[in-house]
Amino acid sequence: MTDTPDSDDVSRRTYLKLAGGAGAATFLAGCTGGGGESTTESTDGSGDSESTEETSGDDSDSSTEYNALEVQHWWTGGDGGAAAQALLEGFNEQYPDIELTENPVAGGAGQNLRAVIKKRILNNDPPSTWQAWPGANLQPFTDADKLEDIEESVWGHNDMKNAYLDGPQEAAQPAGNYVSVPLNIHRLNNLFYNVEVVEDAGVDPASIDSPSALVDAMATVEEAGYVGMAQQTNSAWSTGQLWAQVLLGEYGADVYADVTAGNVEANADAVRDSLDIVKQYSEYYPNDAGSISWQDANSKIISGDAAFFHQGDWAAGMYRAQDDFEYETNWDHVAFPGTEGLYSLNMDSFPMPTNNPSPEATKAFLRYVGSVDAQERFNPKKGSIPPRTDVPQDAFGPFLQNQMDDFSNSEAQPLSIQHGLAVAPNALTAFEDAMASFISSYDVEAAYSAIQSAFQ
Amino acid sequence: MSPHILKRLLDRLRDDGQPVRTDGGTAAAGSETAGSGFDLGSTLSSLRESDAVRSAPFWLPPFLLMGFFVYGAISWNIVISFTDFGGLQLPTYDPSTFDLEMYRRAFSDGQFWIATRNTFVLLISFTGLSLAGGLGLAILVDRGIRFENWFRTIYLLPFSLSFVVTAVFWRWMYNFDSGLINAFLRSIGLDFVASKWLTGSIDTGALGAIPLVPDTFYFKLFAVIFALLWQFSGYAMVVYLAGLRAIPNDQYEAARVDGASILRMYRRVILPQLRASTVSAAVVLMVFALKAFDFLYVLFGSNPGPTADILSTMMYRQAFSANQWAYGSAIAVILFLVALTVVAPYLYGEYRRGEL
Repeated sequence: MTDTPDSDDVSRRTYLKLAGGAGAATFLAGCTGGGGESTTESTDGSGDSESTEETSGDDSDSSTEYNALEVQHWWTGGDGGAAAQALLEGFNEQYPDIELTENPVAGGAGQNLRAVIKKRILNNDPPSTWQAWPGANLQPFTDADKLEDIEESVWGHNDMKNAYLDGPQEAAQPAGNYVSVPLNIHRLNNLFYNVEVVEDAGVDPASIDSPSALVDAMATVEEAGYVGMAQQTNSAWSTGQLWAQVLLGEYGADVYADVTAGNVEANADAVRDSLDIVKQYSEYYPNDAGSISWQDANSKIISGDAAFFHQGDWAAGMYRAQDDFEYETNWDHVAFPGTEGLYSLNMDSFPMPTNNPSPEATKAFLRYVGSVDAQERFNPKKGSIPPRTDVPQDAFGPFLQNQMDDFSNSEAQPLSIQHGLAVAPNALTAFEDAMASFISSYDVEAAYSAIQSAFQ
Repeated sequence: MSPHILKRLLDRLRDDGQPVRTDGGTAAAGSETAGSGFDLGSTLSSLRESDAVRSAPFWLPPFLLMGFFVYGAISWNIVISFTDFGGLQLPTYDPSTFDLEMYRRAFSDGQFWIATRNTFVLLISFTGLSLAGGLGLAILVDRGIRFENWFRTIYLLPFSLSFVVTAVFWRWMYNFDSGLINAFLRSIGLDFVASKWLTGSIDTGALGAIPLVPDTFYFKLFAVIFALLWQFSGYAMVVYLAGLRAIPNDQYEAARVDGASILRMYRRVILPQLRASTVSAAVVLMVFALKAFDFLYVLFGSNPGPTADILSTMMYRQAFSANQWAYGSAIAVILFLVALTVVAPYLYGEYRRGEL
């Protein structure tokens, strides 16, 4: 089991429901209670912040005392939990004098944590920093002026600007200035496959050169008696990811960026056609696609029932955990057809909120997150790759090493739609609505107009 | 409710005010001036003596807690729905900027109407079917069968399970390949009935020409309704069973002596006496239907798609995913009004019959 942003396995959903309910209740209570107080609170808060910053400024001169650092994240179990522990241990070793409070919020692919953070930001009581998707996902925060510029204080250190490629740097600047530090990258333009199955069916995945050509390959696979593409349609996000990769593979990074920037109408044919290709894919999904999770779908690759699988590269964590299921002999990976030379980004980052309870300690932590040491500790355990290109590869497995090479050599790093990097939360919600309708009726025209109004 | 209580309190105060008690020092002090009629001391002391005040430690804490956390939260939610609260900036709460924009937005939002339609389909068919199923079970169990207690427990058991549990295992039940439902259908030779229960649809063909009948009929919402039905008809059964047990045996015997058939006996003699059970079970079931959020959320995440989206899932998405707090609040208020229209006639009916 991996602790990826989108894992929606049973236990996670259970948590989700419980914690989500509790979170909602807390939020409501916060709103209710805040009625009269909130305005006074916020003025008090900003007053506090000035004084804190002044004193901590003094502190940094003497460089002995830091305020306690509070870090919130949703890596509470599995790969993510182990990786987060490794990261925080590394930070403790470097800054033994900073008191660190970890305050994780489990569940809901981060939805619960996001609810907590929004509440705290609205009450002007942010944690020192928290796990957040960078990019447009942070737009509500920059719109409300809740994030601080850290270009000098953080990005000026550790040679970060040279070590990060353009895509991750762009994501760190949702409003044109640096406010966040990406820690890890999960690739989205993957096509995993079961080696035996494709060989048995006589298909060569490396020779599939476009998303539309994949349809023929899957037809061949189905003739050989396998499921073409292991996909789940129980919830819409997997289809959202898939459509984005089809658009990227068939029409390239520029059209993709243009569409996510809101120019859907100018690229109407590309959007319609890519939706139609996804519709054709749906003919090759397993029969029970509607009632399985992505892990169930991935199991069909492991069991040899299905040939192809599209998912973020957290899916490889399941292969690693499986005995006798080896990279390159049993399963293998190509970039999603048509996306060679591209590396679709799904990232986690740590932003710097204004009114920070521990400004100096937070900057120290963010500088650490942007360092080789932190990314080398965190990523092998998480099953992701570091956004820095100068991290030694020794600690990573063969699959991740190949991914790191692909990343270093990539021409462009498109930002993900489904994971909040390319579109703001309200557009993402509308996009998910569009995809949820799409997987129930596969009505291309309706989905096109829903996407158009979502990205406007 | 609160005016009612207030009136009663005032009555009590008036009643208790005059008679002077002699069993307390303070009361004696008040009694000296009681004759003057309009005296602060005596009013205060009688206030202190009144039932309402003396029982305050018992009713006041829950009264305040409920008032603050339930009714306060509802009122606050209504206030938010009048603002433009979105994103991460608090609204100003200036009454001059309050408007109904969010409600206008809801009424012009196609998704809102889809969710409303689904909410009502769920509400009506779930409640109706649960009542029918519960009544059927209650009558069967009441026929003096063997192992009656066993059956009663078995039927009620699903009701004790959490939505989370039932949602997960119904997802397994509905699995096309390995689900129990399709496995059962295939084992009795009904392969052609086996369907993709959560994503499938059926073309209604010529029936589609009839008003209100869609061209394509999606199973998703009815798969949800069926699962909820399984969970809640046991509850309806228990309520009906209590109603049936309250009917004296004489009436069954009298009907039988008069030569009524079983069907006729139930229709003419027994069912009319189950009105109270029906109403109370229906209200509870309808409230559960409006709360089906948990079930859908566990089954499909926050976005079940247009074929099963209901107002509560839409409200959650708009507020917590899209940061459209005001819009989410407006949907919540509408949902609240729907719930109120469900409960209000019941409360009013009970009130008129003096049972409240």
